[in-house]
Amino acid sequence: MTMSNLDRRDFLKVLGISGAAATLAGCGHTSIESGVEEVMSYVHPQDFVVPGIGVFYASTCAQCGSGCGIMGKVREGRVLKLEGNPESGISGGKICGLGQAGVQAHYNPDRLRTPMYKGEGGLTPVSWETAHQILEQRLGPNSPLKGEEIAFLTGGVSGHQRVLLENFLETFDSTHHVTYDALSTATGRAASKAILGAEQPLWNIHKARLILSFGNDFLGSGVSPVYMARQYALFRKAPRGTLIQIEPRMTLTGGNADRWYPIKPGTEGILALGIAHDLLQHEEFSRGVPQEILDLVKNYDRDAVSDITGIGSDAVRLIAAQLWNNTPSLVIAGPSVEGHSYGFSNAAAVQLLNVILGNRGQTMEGQAEHPFPQLTPTLGSYHALADLNQKMAAGKTQALLVYGTNPVFTAPSHLPFAESLSNVPFKVAFVTHMDETAGHCDLVLPLLSALEDFGTHVAEYQPDGVEVMLQQPLMEKLYPESKGYGDILLEILKKRKPEAYAAFPDYYSYLKTAMVKAKPVFKVSDSDDHFWEDALRNGLVKWDGKPTSLEARLPALTMPKPAELTTDYPFYFVPSIRPDMRDGRHAYLPWLQESPETMTTVVWDSWVEIHPKTAEAMQIKEGDILQIQSATGSVRAKAYLFPGIQPDTVSMPLGQGHTQLGRFATGVGVNPYKILDPIFDDHTGELAMHATRVALRKTGEHQVVVKDEGPTTFQNGQKLVATLSADQAKLSKEI
Amino acid sequence: MNYGKRIFLWIVLFWIGSAQVFAEPFVQGGPIGSQTSDGYDALGPVVEQPIEFPHNTHAGRMQINCMYCHTYARRSNVSGIPRLDKCMGCHNLIEGVKDRPRIKKLFEYWENKQPIPWKKVHDLPDFVRFNHERHIQRFYFQEKRPVREVCGYCHGDIASMTTARRVKALSMGWCVSCHQKDHLEKAGSTVTSHGPNDCWLCHK
Repeated sequence: MTMSNLDRRDFLKVLGISGAAATLAGCGHTSIESGVEEVMSYVHPQDFVVPGIGVFYASTCAQCGSGCGIMGKVREGRVLKLEGNPESGISGGKICGLGQAGVQAHYNPDRLRTPMYKGEGGLTPVSWETAHQILEQRLGPNSPLKGEEIAFLTGGVSGHQRVLLENFLETFDSTHHVTYDALSTATGRAASKAILGAEQPLWNIHKARLILSFGNDFLGSGVSPVYMARQYALFRKAPRGTLIQIEPRMTLTGGNADRWYPIKPGTEGILALGIAHDLLQHEEFSRGVPQEILDLVKNYDRDAVSDITGIGSDAVRLIAAQLWNNTPSLVIAGPSVEGHSYGFSNAAAVQLLNVILGNRGQTMEGQAEHPFPQLTPTLGSYHALADLNQKMAAGKTQALLVYGTNPVFTAPSHLPFAESLSNVPFKVAFVTHMDETAGHCDLVLPLLSALEDFGTHVAEYQPDGVEVMLQQPLMEKLYPESKGYGDILLEILKKRKPEAYAAFPDYYSYLKTAMVKAKPVFKVSDSDDHFWEDALRNGLVKWDGKPTSLEARLPALTMPKPAELTTDYPFYFVPSIRPDMRDGRHAYLPWLQESPETMTTVVWDSWVEIHPKTAEAMQIKEGDILQIQSATGSVRAKAYLFPGIQPDTVSMPLGQGHTQLGRFATGVGVNPYKILDPIFDDHTGELAMHATRVALRKTGEHQVVVKDEGPTTFQNGQKLVATLSADQAKLSKEI
Repeated sequence: MNYGKRIFLWIVLFWIGSAQVFAEPFVQGGPIGSQTSDGYDALGPVVEQPIEFPHNTHAGRMQINCMYCHTYARRSNVSGIPRLDKCMGCHNLIEGVKDRPRIKKLFEYWENKQPIPWKKVHDLPDFVRFNHERHIQRFYFQEKRPVREVCGYCHGDIASMTTARRVKALSMGWCVSCHQKDHLEKAGSTVTSHGPNDCWLCHK
């Protein structure tokens, strides 16, 4: 049959038959069978095991650093689904979409299954015996490495994984633990420390009557989204709190806000000072505020602020009035505030509002002091990576170990990390999946998945006292050649310092001993074994810490006026953080690729968001392929018309554009990290991620944007849902 | 009560009585190679097992309740292959048969802590979810029918076999044919109902 005489009916028939064949081939067996599959009986199971009925085991989610307690449903020895652990004060029995995908990270077909060693033909599989020999030769007791010659580069790491890592470095007389976070919040933390005396205060969202958020996506990609979402639900219960979000590109939290204001990127601090200007007119707020601050805000009356920020002066008045009327309030800053060369001042200006409004002790408190500071997470920064890169480029680093971070993918192109790696003679990567950084290493070690390994975790954000979260295997390891991170380190440590570590046959026994030793602090009178079994069953150990009080410092601030856009680069560039992809480490999970991005519903792709009016002026349609050119580099992506963006701004989601992270991530989308300009925060030296400016060029090509939303995004020209812009609303009536 | 009413009552009682299933649990699906009306083999192949387990000794001669070993059938959707320590619980104490080749094999597995790789005999397609618990609770515990009969509806007279062999079609038409019949709700009750007919109940 040729195409010419294939009529519609035949076509449908063929489609039906091939479709059915595909379905049959794709599923498991489809007819009644006898004697084909095996069914194994248990030899000596525990009494509660009933085939066909799931048993839940507590553990800790490792998909991000929030440290949510989880329960894994295990049936016939296989983990099937994750739920939240109600015992955990962080997750409170809930879990997010990213956490759910932890199962897929475990069963992912692209997991690394054997150690790999770089020979002449690139990385080739080797046995663990060989891998251990290489490790012993380079890092064993006879290794001459000392001090900064060895470096351990990680993402955020906490609990006994951190303790073991630092003990490992100690045997080299080294403290060279470098923590890198591609989405570092170091600038914001520094500003918070400067004003409130705490890097990450506790936010009592549920006690606030008004939240004013400057670009903090606390419901999506913030510090502890599951906990924040639970608090937010309480905040929205009667009396219903009001959320005002101010940011250049609408985040998930912005989408939930009562009022959302698009602001020119980088002018958030000026708006904060403008609001402060309005508030400080009243003695109630100005009492005790130093003269420098009063002098500073004098320059920022409503009209001046409106000119710079693009937010109407009426709106500035409304926000100030809302803050006045709704106490206690809570003012928070996010990445879009911090990501500028004056990001520190910007964030400090926002924090200033909290002090003026008297939110300390009401909606903001200090976190409880941790009884074991050595278990608290190391928080990453960009400048730590830049420092390491410099040392590597100068040939000072002889051995580098990499765990839980992928700087070759996330470092901007002006930081040639991949090139610097070639100066390091011995590089080891601890990974579950081959990624871009592991591809540049000499020895790549396959780790157990988070659902197969033991560990302890301490969250950066501890809302409810202090919890040491336990991670335990939910099933036997899938691949016999994979090993736990703790086990590998322990094996080297046993050789380097046998007197301290020879007694531990594995990481499990190390963990158990360490936790049992800490028992007196947790005020438990059980026997050691009971304490440990209880800890494993509950998935955590609690310490009843009380929140501490915050300080209030009002240092003199200088607030530069942001540079105007130029004709060469007429757009602000905002890289957006997806709640699921984060810095790109999760791009290998097809569930996350397939789940529509929260604001745009686009799947499996990168895109550039542009305001419909701007697009109209430039005659850009959805799906037009645009070249996004910065002073540093360029990428190509499909245009997506998005009303939730400041009209002079374009935005691209981070996380895509992998060249090596399994079949589901490789070749999907582009990597906007690579076009970020080398602009750094003056105070902290962090990469200013929101300071890049770009030009758009039409390539003339066009492709369909694959997305879940229907054709009615813009309501097809009909008023299906009536909307009103914030400036047109009769604001005076609401106050 | 007049004569007419009495006749009517007898007719109603007879009708209710006849509505319950006169099940034929041990009737084989058909000769080897024959098919049921919906195209499935009526009789499954002979399956060779690692140990030729004599159901006829255990369930037949010794009259052991099926659920003594297949203990999960009343609690779970699968009846479960008995755990190895269950076999050993008895056979450790039965000195008289310890030298039999099949028992020797059993001890070998136990000493090596190896599970026995039994072959599945009644293996439904992956898109079918059959629930043992529902059927056992209904027919064994509620209606108090004999266990050999209840299990036999789907498995045939296992007590007369050594290793199990499929003797029922287990096809959808075959399932539905039983779900369409009226069954007593409880032992001694006259209220009947038939099995559910939702697609979703088995295909989920």
